Formats: sequence, structure tokens, C-alpha cells
Amino acid sequence: MANWQEMMPSTRAYLMNKVLYELHHKPDDLAAYKADAEAYLARFGLPQDLADCIRNNDVANMYLTGVNPYLLRAHCIGVRIPEDVSLAALRSLLTHEDYNNG
Amino acid sequence: MAEITGIYTASHTPVMLNFPDRIPAELKDEIFGAYKAMGDDFMSGKPDALIVLSNDHLHNFFLDNFPAYCIGCAESYESPIEHWLHAKRRVFAGDQAFGAYLLQEAYQADFDPSFSMEMVLDHGSLTPLELAGVDPDLPIVPVLINCVQPPMPTMRRSYALGQFLGRAIRAYEGVDRVAILATGGISHDIATPRMGMVNEEFDQTFLTLMEKGDIEGTLRYATDFVHTAGNGCEEIRMWMAAMGAADGAPFRRAYYRAVNDWYTGIGIGRFEV
Repeated sequence: MANWQEMMPSTRAYLMNKVLYELHHKPDDLAAYKADAEAYLARFGLPQDLADCIRNNDVANMYLTGVNPYLLRAHCIGVRIPEDVSLAALRSLLTHEDYNNG
Repeated sequence: MAEITGIYTASHTPVMLNFPDRIPAELKDEIFGAYKAMGDDFMSGKPDALIVLSNDHLHNFFLDNFPAYCIGCAESYESPIEHWLHAKRRVFAGDQAFGAYLLQEAYQADFDPSFSMEMVLDHGSLTPLELAGVDPDLPIVPVLINCVQPPMPTMRRSYALGQFLGRAIRAYEGVDRVAILATGGISHDIATPRMGMVNEEFDQTFLTLMEKGDIEGTLRYATDFVHTAGNGCEEIRMWMAAMGAADGAPFRRAYYRAVNDWYTGIGIGRFEV
């Protein structure tokens, strides 16, 4: 597999990146998200499938949107998705021929 | 004219601070001991200032404006910026004049870095400094390289930036003794299906090429095979910059272990400048 899904962020990836970035850097955003995820996500005008995978902590589908992996990783830790859950979700996308062959 | 007292390379990962106990205690102690040994060696050179070659992980920089290279020109640097990082909040002294000098010299040498007077350091700088036990009062100049969001500067350009930094540091008259810490890499995947599957073969080949002093071979290997060793391995751009600053000085690895449960090839080394 390649190191990156997108060599330039698509608009979909950008939109998800924007949410994950603001959520973990703006002072009151994490509390607002925890209080009402749907209302918080509505601020961003995301396509519904992107909003759904964030709200559902669907790590595999978040990855598949092309989201920046560092923002995804920080989000997993920041909203306390259990380490083994996020690892298993990512690993479920690995096919044997993907491994370290570029 | 400043003397470079040491050029060190070391991996970083927030897992060391957030989930250290995912590996056996003896292994953790061995790794933390290796960082401390690096710090002791580093401090024995009695540096007056430290250049930290590292990368931002989308904290200071976002897709609104993402620099390829950025030189810190602040009086001080708070850390960490991550609300979730298990680390004591610290303030590192900055060497503003040194940062400003490097920035201006870079332009004269046809490099075009951005600069920041508001940088807040993330785990990429904090983790190795913390584990090495570096005194936060030692003034630092952070030099950040984009390794986290394609498109990214090339390995070769990062090597050339390091060559420039080495020359500019040695010509600087503001301090007498300068150490360089380049931190990132080696093999690791962040939030990909391969996360936790360290490519040890890549790391061993990479370290061996560096130990042989094969600069051209190292640059080619880093460029052509980084895609086999994970998105986190893109951080070896800092090792390329360190190799440039070392100006041909031999490299010695001090420690290496592929640590799958920390998701990272933990490598520590130094150039014998």
C-alpha cells in the first residue's frame, strides 16, 4: 500500500479535516461536540455520510474518506476511542498484498 | 563562529507518553534509558543553544496555509499543543535572534522558509526533549519540515536545507556552542491499516546506509522506499537535514528496536561531528 491515499486533499477530505482540526483546537469545540454531536457537525455543512462516520466513531470509514491520518489519529485519542478498537478498524482494511510492497 | 557540539537523530511518538505500558516494562525502561543516554551525551557537549529539527502534526499548521519549511523566531515556546497528550505543560526558552538570523540567511541562500513567532510545540519536539531530560531553559530554535501532508518537500531538498543550516550555524557569532536534535521516523504508520506493522527491513537498510556514509545511497533509498515504511516514515526528512548539517561526519546508531506495540521503529543515533 502507499503511504497516502491522496497526494493532494480532495474537497471531501478537506471538509473532514476541517472538522477534526477545529474540534481539537478551538477552545470550546470538544465540549460542544460531546454535548450534541449532531448540532456541532451541522455547523460545517458536511455531506451526511461524512457527518455520520464522525458521529459513529467509524474509524475505517473516516480513513477511507482520505482524511489526514494525523488528524484522524489525534481524533481517536482525543475522543477516547479505545486504542484496540481503532487499531482493529484500520486493520480490517488491510489485504495481505497491501503489506509493505508499496 | 559557533561550534556544533553534536547532531542527534531520534524517533518520536506520542504513544511513549500516552500509552507507554503497551510494551513490557523492561523494554520501555531500555528505550527510555536510550533517550536519557542521548540527553546525557548531548548535555556533555555543553551547548548554549539547540536547533530542533522536527515537524508539526497539523496543530500549528492546517490546510489554510501549510509551509514546507518553517523557522521559529519566538522568545519562548509553550508545549504541548495537544489537549490529549500526557505531558507536563512546559515553556521552552527560544533564541529569537538565532531564529531570525537563520531565516534571513536562508533567503540569502535561496531557501524560502516561512517563519512563526506563535509556534506551540507538539509531541514531535516535546517527547524527545522530555525523555532526554533536556533543560527547558536551554534556548531553542525550532525548524519544522512538512512530513505530514502531501505534497511535501523532497528528501534531497531537506538534505540541502540541512547543508545550509550547518553552514549558517557554523558562521553564527551569537552563540559559541550549538547542538542539533533531528526527530522523527523511522518506519511507522499513523492511522492506516498498516499501523503497528513496523518495516524493520527498511529501518535496518536505512541505518546501515547512513553508517556507511553513503549519502547519495541514503537519499535515493529514502526517496524510493519510504512508501514501504509508512506515512510516519516521511519524517526521515529530518534525518536527511541532519545528514546535510553533519557535512560528511560519520553516523553511529546508538539504539534501534522495531516496537510494533508503539507502532514505531525506535532509532537513536548521532553524527560524530
